[in-house]
Parts: sequence; C-alpha cells; structure tokens
Amino acid sequence: MEESNEPLCVGIDLGTSRSSISASNGERHVIDSYVGWPLDMVARKIVKKSVLVGREALDSRSMLDLRRPLERGIMKEGSEKDQEAVQEILKHLINLAGIKQKGKNKSKVRAVVGVPAEAFRVSRQNLRNTMEGIADSVMLVSEPFAVAYGLEALLHALVIDIGAGTADFCVMQGRYPTEDDQRTLSSAGDSIDEQLEKLIREHYPEAQFSVHMIRQWKERFSFVGEPKDRIIVTAPVKGKVTDLDITAEIRAACESILPPICETLQDILSKVEPDFQDRVRNNVILAGGSSMITGLTDAVQKSLAELGGGRATVVKDPVFAGSDGGLAIARDASSSDWEKLSL
Amino acid sequence: MAATNDTKAKLLRGVVQDNVNIVQGVRTKRAVKRKLSLRYWLSAGIGMAGLVYIAIPSQVVSTANTSLTAAIGTATFANIAQTPESSAPLDSPRPLDKNAVPLAIKRIVIDPGHGGEPGAVSESGLMEKEITLDVALRLRRLMANEPYEVLLTRQTDQLVPLDKRVAFANENKGDLFVSIHVNSMEPKTLRGLETYYVGPTDDPATLRLASIENKDSGYSLADYKKILEKIYVDARHDESRTLAKTIQAQLHHSLKSVNPRLENRGVKTAPFVVLIGTQMPAILVEVSALSNEEEVKLLTKENYRENIALALVQGIKNYARNFNVPERKGS
Repeated sequence: MEESNEPLCVGIDLGTSRSSISASNGERHVIDSYVGWPLDMVARKIVKKSVLVGREALDSRSMLDLRRPLERGIMKEGSEKDQEAVQEILKHLINLAGIKQKGKNKSKVRAVVGVPAEAFRVSRQNLRNTMEGIADSVMLVSEPFAVAYGLEALLHALVIDIGAGTADFCVMQGRYPTEDDQRTLSSAGDSIDEQLEKLIREHYPEAQFSVHMIRQWKERFSFVGEPKDRIIVTAPVKGKVTDLDITAEIRAACESILPPICETLQDILSKVEPDFQDRVRNNVILAGGSSMITGLTDAVQKSLAELGGGRATVVKDPVFAGSDGGLAIARDASSSDWEKLSL
Repeated sequence: MAATNDTKAKLLRGVVQDNVNIVQGVRTKRAVKRKLSLRYWLSAGIGMAGLVYIAIPSQVVSTANTSLTAAIGTATFANIAQTPESSAPLDSPRPLDKNAVPLAIKRIVIDPGHGGEPGAVSESGLMEKEITLDVALRLRRLMANEPYEVLLTRQTDQLVPLDKRVAFANENKGDLFVSIHVNSMEPKTLRGLETYYVGPTDDPATLRLASIENKDSGYSLADYKKILEKIYVDARHDESRTLAKTIQAQLHHSLKSVNPRLENRGVKTAPFVVLIGTQMPAILVEVSALSNEEEVKLLTKENYRENIALALVQGIKNYARNFNVPERKGS
C-alpha cells in the first residue's frame, strides 16, 4: 500500500459482464458487473447489506432488484438506478483495491477507464460524471488502446478486444489512434448468449433455463470449428432434470460472431498503409473475455490467410489486460496532465 | 527503449487532448424547465399564431395575451397597422411581412429526438437517441461563437416527453425550433434526408412516421387533424416551410460531397406533436436512415456526424441571415 495522500493510480476495465481493476499498490481484482438492492425488509435482513455487488449479488438475485448496468460496454442510460449501479461497481472496485475513499487519509485517485473504441462523446461524458466522488481525476481511453499500451504493442499491431457487450478493434501505428484506426461491433459475448438461448429453445422447447445458465454454459464450453467432445448439460424439462446435448447450438452461437469480426478485421487492415499491412497482419492480438473461445485464434488466422496470411495470438491475461494497460497509462501520465482532467 | 518512450509520450499527449476535448465539449449552462401541459401550449400557440398575422382571424382574438405580445410591444403593432397590407379583409390571413417589424433570430431550441427510449435502432445496435444527442451537442459547440443562444431540450440520455419539449421551447421563448431525428425506412435500400414542417399529410409512410415519433404523447391522429385544421394556416407555417427548405437544401448540399449516394427526399408536411405545439418556426429533420447499412457505417464516424452538425449550423445561419434583415426604408 502506498503512503496515504500519495496519488494512487488505477486502471479500470468497466465491462458489460465483468469489471477489473489494477492499482499502483499492487492490487488486482475482477468482479461480475452486477449490482443488487434488497427487494424488501425481509431480503434486507437476510442479505444483511443495503447493496450487493458482483458474484454476491448474482448469488442472491432472487431477493434483489438485480441490475447489470452496462450495455454494449457503456452505461445503460436513461435510468438513474442503472447509473447508481455503475457507481456502486466503481466504488466496490476501488474499495477492493484497498483505497481509502473517506476520512483524513483519503487517497487521491487517478483513474484510467476503458470504454468502447467508438463510444459516443456523450456516453464518455456521462461516465466522467459518474466518477465524481470516486476518483479525483479521470481519463477515458478506448479499451483496445489500453490493451495495446499495456503490452507496448504500439507500432504495427492490431488489437481486437472481444468483451460481452462489444468487440473493439484498434490498429496501432505509433500515433494516437484516429477514428479510422478503430471500430466497435456489438457482435460479442452477449450476442452469443442471445443466439445460444434462441437455438436451445428451438431444439428443446420444453427445457427450462435462465440467462445465467446460458452464460455459464457458454463460458465453460464455448468453441468454434470442429468439436472435440459432445457438450452435455443438464436442465429441468417439465420439472425433471434432463441431459441436453447442446454441441451444435454452442458452435453455431459462437460462430455467429465470426463473420462480422472477420469482415471488420479485413476492412480495418485494408485502411493500413500498404507497406505496413503485412506487419500488422502478423501482429493481431486478441483480448477480452470472449477471446478465450476455443478455436477463435485459428478462425482469425484463417480469415487472415485470405489476405495473404498472418498471425493472431491471445494475450496472456485476457481478464486484466485492459485494466493493466489503463494502469500503465495512469502511471505514465504527468501530474500536469492529470490536473487538466480533474473532476 | 528510447523510441518506445517517445511513442508513449506521443500517445499520452493524444489521450490527454482527447479527454480535454470531451470535458470542454459539453461545458455549458443548463436550461431551466417548467412543467406545463401540451394542451396549455397548444392553446397559447394558436393564440400567438393569431397575433402575428397582420389580419387576425376573429376566432383566435380572445387568446391574444401571449408572451410574444410583450416581446413585440404595442408600438410594433402600431407599425403593423400602418402597413399597406393592413387594409386586407380580416378573414383572409396572410404571412407576416418580416420587414415590417424588427424581429430577429436570437435563441434557437434544438431538440435531440428520443432519449431514454432508443428510437430507431440499426441492425448493428446503433440507436437513434445516441446520434441525435451527439449531433445536437456538436451543433451547440459549433454555434458557441455565433451570435445565437442555443438551448437543448435534453442534454443527456433521458426520457423527455414530447409535451415537455414543446413547453421548454415555448417557455424559453425560442425563435426557432429544430428537432433532430434519424429515420428508419422500408425498403432498407432507401437512404436520404427529409425535413418536415407542420401540416396535414395523406402519405401513408409519413403518417406512419408521425405516429412513431408522436408515440406516448396522449393524442390520437384524429386529435392532430383537428388541431392542424386550426393551426396550419398560421404565420409560422410559411416561416417553418422556409426554414425547412433552407435547412434541407444546405444539408443535402453539404453532405452530398461526402455521401454521394445520399438522396434528397425533400421537404414535407406532417403532424408531429413537437411541430404543432411549438410557438416558433419549427422543423423536424430526419438526417439519415438507420435502416440502411451504408448510412449506419457513416453515422458511426465522428467526421460524418460533425458534417451533419456543420450543415445544420450553416442552414440555420442562412435562414437567420435572410430573416434578420433591416427594416424597410421609411418604415
């Protein structure tokens, strides 16, 4: 822990499904992006808290007004409750990192928060406003840019950060990325969930399952390409626990994001100067929770082969790559830079 | 290592500047809102419409005590009475001769369509509410150095009922009202700009669009038609048409160069609630179509949204320049 009153730098990857924090005091944490408030006095008495965040909220969801307040990588807007929920997630992350938010020894917090590459200015401004009282200064950066910065993949690299809400692309060409260097797609983890739910319902119309079960199955079994084993899960059918073979459904749902991702990959590569396209094609970096889909790297490389070949790799730590990158930016920025961006 | 550090320093400068731009781009004063019903403003609107006519239709004389009365003042009405047109029969309304009174465009109300609820949504998930607010905020920034005050009916992604938007524009005595929307059309190959001002329509597509945009206003189409029968002949009608034509022409002219396949779908009339209730020249612009993939690609680019905002600013300035003319010699 750094000395109190010394500015503390944090990188935050505020994700639709999971959020992570990396702090300059060495703390790193990841939570599920869920917040819940007890529905009534009875629930309040059982959960013994006025608000629950992360896995704890998810596990007690039957007693809570449960919110997943991020949508397509940004705050779900138009609802004060969802904005409050985002604040709770941010406070919780800061708290987990052991940062004092109150009292005489309150730490000064400099936060870098990742947002989708093509997030609207108004969405970024809303997020800044939400950070008031949580951090002292805030910088918002595109998520794939944060990943690239953290990995020092600053030149001739293409980062594809595939999260739950969005898939973000950013070409690094040794300069601050322009709008032409970045793309955001909403074909990502959540769209796989939607597709998977639809396909399983079609195949097993009488099976009972929730969106949380769908997410668990996806996270455990997701793959593209040829299956190695059959995927069998259990779910109640007319109240009776039944085995369901969802191999074909998992494959079809996961592969549904490939066409838009490969098309965007080809499109963004075509915008790179011809002299450097070969180098960028051979330095494609996959990050984000959905980059862990088995076989995704091969599928991306297959797409690159159509352009003359290339190499794709998955970052070593997909969960923290974004927040670690944010932390690196926060540390490298000067005090005068931070002053310009105080809240 | 030194090269990496140099690159990092360059990137950090970019990050900081980008964030400073975000902060500066939206730092503006907030407008005050007051809760008033649409019915109140509709009746006030009809009253104002009567007042700004040189020949006042007898059926609206009783509602003469409106805010515009105070703004123009009794001396102005004396001037109107001395114009040659004042001898026209009372039951044949004509457009206001803007040379006769020293009116000027000073305050512009911009209405970013939808909010809270998404409005039209593209297949890729891009929402109308995001585009309209983004363009409106850009427009306000671009107008910062112009001699106009720009007020927005919403500054965040919040649900603002249509009657509240109308009340806001009227309460703040806007001189112009521009509602920004993004269309969704069938077939999806359609892409284009269209601008509406208040009036009746028999076009099924326009009626369908009006019913979508007027959703949750509490009025039926029959209500609109009744209201329109009274209001669409007012002074605003002609000025709204001029404003619509000016802005539509500027938008098409400006955007065509970056979007050559953009179709000019023209100026149309429709019974949109925000156009009926507002007391100033008012238009509704459909700046693009979220149903068309190519348009969606353009709308995701900041440059294109900036171009839309720039074209709207130029259109407003063109209209205001013609409106803010000096008084006639000898008047």
